[in-house]
Amino acid sequence: MKLLRRMWNKTGNFATGRSGQQRLREEMEEHVAMQTQENLRAGMTQIEARRQALLKWGAREAVREQYHAEKGLPLLETMLQDVRFAGRMLRKSPVFSMVAVLTLALGIGANAAIFTLINALLLKNLPVADPKTLVRLGNDNACCVGIGWQDDGEYSFFSTDSYQYLRKNVPEFEDLAAMQAGFAYRPVIVRMDRSGDAPRSVMGEFVSGNYFRAFGLNAAAGRVLQDRDDVAGAPFTAMMSYETWTTRFNSDANVVGSTFRVNTKPVTVVGIAPKGFYGDRLLPTPPEFYLPIESMPGLANVPYVHNSDLQWLYIIGRVKPGVSQGMLQEKVNTLLRHQLAGTNHFSDKDGPEKLRKIHVVLSAGGGGIQSMQEGYDKQLRMLMTASGLVLLIACANLANLLLVRGMARKAEMNVRTALGARRGRIVRQLLTESVLLASAGGVAGLAVAYAGTRMLLAMAFPGADSVPINASPSLTVLGFAFGLSLLTGVLFGVAPAWVASKATPADALRGGTRSVAGGATVLQTSLVVLQAGLSLVLLVCAGLFGKSLSKLEHIDLKLDPVNRYIVHINPQTAGYSQRQVGPLYRAIEERFHALPGVEKVGITSYTPMEDNNNGWGVQIQGKPEHNAIASYIKVNPDYFDSVGTHVVRGRGILATDTVDAPHVAVVNNEFVRQLFKPGENPIGQHFGGGMKSAGDWEIVGVVEDTAYQSATWKDHMMYFVPTLQRPMSATPESIDEDENMYAGAVVLKTNRPVPEMEELARKTLAGINPNLSVVRFQTFSAQIGEQFSQARLLSRLTTLFGGLALLLATLGLYGVTAYGVARRTAEIGIRMALGAARTKVTAMVMRGAMVQALIGLALGVPTAMFCVKYVSSQLYEIKSVDGWVLAGSVVVLTLAATVAGWIPARRAASINPVQALRVE
Amino acid sequence: MGEKTDVKQGTLALMVLKTLDVLGPLHGWGIARRIEQISGDLLSVNQGTLYPLLLRLEQEGSIDSDWGASENNRRARYYKLTRAGRRELQNEVQEWQQTTEIMARFLAAKAEEL
Repeated sequence: MKLLRRMWNKTGNFATGRSGQQRLREEMEEHVAMQTQENLRAGMTQIEARRQALLKWGAREAVREQYHAEKGLPLLETMLQDVRFAGRMLRKSPVFSMVAVLTLALGIGANAAIFTLINALLLKNLPVADPKTLVRLGNDNACCVGIGWQDDGEYSFFSTDSYQYLRKNVPEFEDLAAMQAGFAYRPVIVRMDRSGDAPRSVMGEFVSGNYFRAFGLNAAAGRVLQDRDDVAGAPFTAMMSYETWTTRFNSDANVVGSTFRVNTKPVTVVGIAPKGFYGDRLLPTPPEFYLPIESMPGLANVPYVHNSDLQWLYIIGRVKPGVSQGMLQEKVNTLLRHQLAGTNHFSDKDGPEKLRKIHVVLSAGGGGIQSMQEGYDKQLRMLMTASGLVLLIACANLANLLLVRGMARKAEMNVRTALGARRGRIVRQLLTESVLLASAGGVAGLAVAYAGTRMLLAMAFPGADSVPINASPSLTVLGFAFGLSLLTGVLFGVAPAWVASKATPADALRGGTRSVAGGATVLQTSLVVLQAGLSLVLLVCAGLFGKSLSKLEHIDLKLDPVNRYIVHINPQTAGYSQRQVGPLYRAIEERFHALPGVEKVGITSYTPMEDNNNGWGVQIQGKPEHNAIASYIKVNPDYFDSVGTHVVRGRGILATDTVDAPHVAVVNNEFVRQLFKPGENPIGQHFGGGMKSAGDWEIVGVVEDTAYQSATWKDHMMYFVPTLQRPMSATPESIDEDENMYAGAVVLKTNRPVPEMEELARKTLAGINPNLSVVRFQTFSAQIGEQFSQARLLSRLTTLFGGLALLLATLGLYGVTAYGVARRTAEIGIRMALGAARTKVTAMVMRGAMVQALIGLALGVPTAMFCVKYVSSQLYEIKSVDGWVLAGSVVVLTLAATVAGWIPARRAASINPVQALRVE
Repeated sequence: MGEKTDVKQGTLALMVLKTLDVLGPLHGWGIARRIEQISGDLLSVNQGTLYPLLLRLEQEGSIDSDWGASENNRRARYYKLTRAGRRELQNEVQEWQQTTEIMARFLAAKAEEL
């Protein structure tokens, strides 16, 4: 209590700057006067009485200081004093301060940026209630619609029947929610009813009625979806994302309850999803609408919602407290086997064997479906390592700068010691300086981090305008950055402070700065060597990624992107049934051919170099069962020419290959290579999906292996069939469920660039049917370029880090060399006075710098060779260090070292001996 | 930075409080003089050190101070005990007495009594 009041008063005095010196002075005057009177009474003379009184008072300054200390907070005061002084000292050497702060800012900023991204992508939970109690059934990214059975029997996505069965029979879950696995591949076309807006192709996710309840979310406006919305025959309802509501509809309250056209069908928006909710997984383009599963057959006309053989749902549930995960997993497995035993898929003779293998792995559901994470995980960790190395170099640089400065200020410390400063006080002063520097670096680093994260996001997700990742660093990142910078400051502030505090005052008076044994210490030299070595490693990495990218970009894709445009469409969402697409495709061919400049109009299920694939089993007639999978595409006659794929044997698809004509297929080279013996003629052979249907298609031509999906996907078989032909063995009525009838893209080849093609395509499609909209429009080149964006990002970032490392290492080498020259001014002066040639002086300084760089190289080269194996998985067809890349990096580093050494060497050579000797 | 005095920590504070308790409001010199008279040599030098102590006691709330007129009609600062100070003094005195009693008994003890 007493202490508390005392501290309170002290703090108050400190804050208001009350020192009480005036009061003490008055009290002392009075005290001395009274004592003088007393002394006079004792018979002393006037002068003697006053002198004795003053003596009795004691040491005046000591009392004053004690009084002052009692009044305020002396520790804090000296600290403030230190900070003020440190600030003044840093301002006095702006180059040093700038370089140090910049070094730290870049090092810390790069790390914080990468860390922010890692935090957002890999570590963050969904913005839902109590994410820890969420459990996902399954743990991989199997997508999007599948007919069960992988060889290991693991299930990660499920049929509607399985979901409903599990939801009913596992009471350990408070709620078990299901969500569409592949919504990203099936955008919906949405238009606000009775508005003039053109329909937009957006992400819409079909979810179970308890989806929002399971995540513990409330609507931002209106209500959330409920189980009663998720019933067959219920009126169509939807929830809109908060992002869409605010950016597209200005948070208009009237949106709730209004009708939208989703794939031309009327749907009522019942509520707005909570702010910040981006769905159950992190994607560059999050869903804008959430729709009940049971409305999917009506809205999207898909057959799999009620097909018990088709899996298309992910499942996440909230477990009740106290449920053991192991027991739960067992129970889910048993139930799933039981449910699947009744389906067609397990009724054959292998059924029981397969059933036994079936299992689900429960995984943490709080982070949502880890779809994007898987792709970025390795690369982000690699970048984290690279940025860590940059930080290491930055720290070495800072340490060096502080060391150099500490040495240079030795004389100042000597004088201070001579004037009576205690060692602790000097160390504290120097520490304050480095902490101040580190804090400044930390603050600047945050700015760099913010800008860096935004840049990273823009580079990582080009074109995405609503990536649900916040670029502002979180508290964790903030702490991380500040901790790092402070640690660096304290660590490397201590060493020079300690060295400097050892100064003996006599040194100062003896002129300790004039010494021949100047130059850098071993510690400094090894720091420079470390920097050089590390930056070589980063440079080699940058070179390898650059080379990998250039290799990727120079793969022969066997296509021609010049003057080609890809218009993605979705006739299904425009309301076409499978039986109606024939006339539509004819209309598309006719209308687009009528456009000026258009030479070819290809219609296809999907196009080369886009993220899509449709694999089916194939069996050649008359050959033993071979269990091969080939990609299946339906195309029109113009298609091969429109993408630039050449027919190498036989013929392509012709206009005569109509519905009623013989069923024909064109296969690619790889198909022939894998399924036929060398020399065997594939033309005229038949194949199908299995032994029974092996006569479905007759091969009439062979085309080259155009790159589909990605440039690096090689050796995959493909077959192309006419748009309207279906397998011979398929029953006529199954057409109503045949998703393959729907084309996914129109490819336009023009005789010249047509910049207004997007608008033309939109108008042309709308002219055929107002509901037919452009899902996505891109030039063929842009679509191909997108496939390289990740490789390009990696290459750019490693180049950035490599460059940063090089810059820092050069600065470090320059700093140490320049410092050495400054220290040896007198020595060099003497040498030159004694007749040393300027060239010799230059060579001497250069030699020092180059030796350090060379040792760094000698260490860096083997390290780089060793490190390649850790990044080779991220590289395209590069397994070891490329000679040219290595040589290039060495040359670049040597050049940088030469520059760093040349500048101080020149200065050394220009020393005027007379002046140098007069310096001290 | 603490300067070593021959006076045990807290002893001088207790003396100040006791002086103010006995003599009522008093200025610094008066307190110093009183302590000097009773304790002999203590405070015969370094009387100035009394003032930081007075300030401390005041900041702790044990004493209060105000300007007043001194005997020779000059401005002097008078210190007086607060209620908290009086309580503090009682506690301190009690504690001190206990300590001295224990110490006295301990020092007086002879071998056969143990």
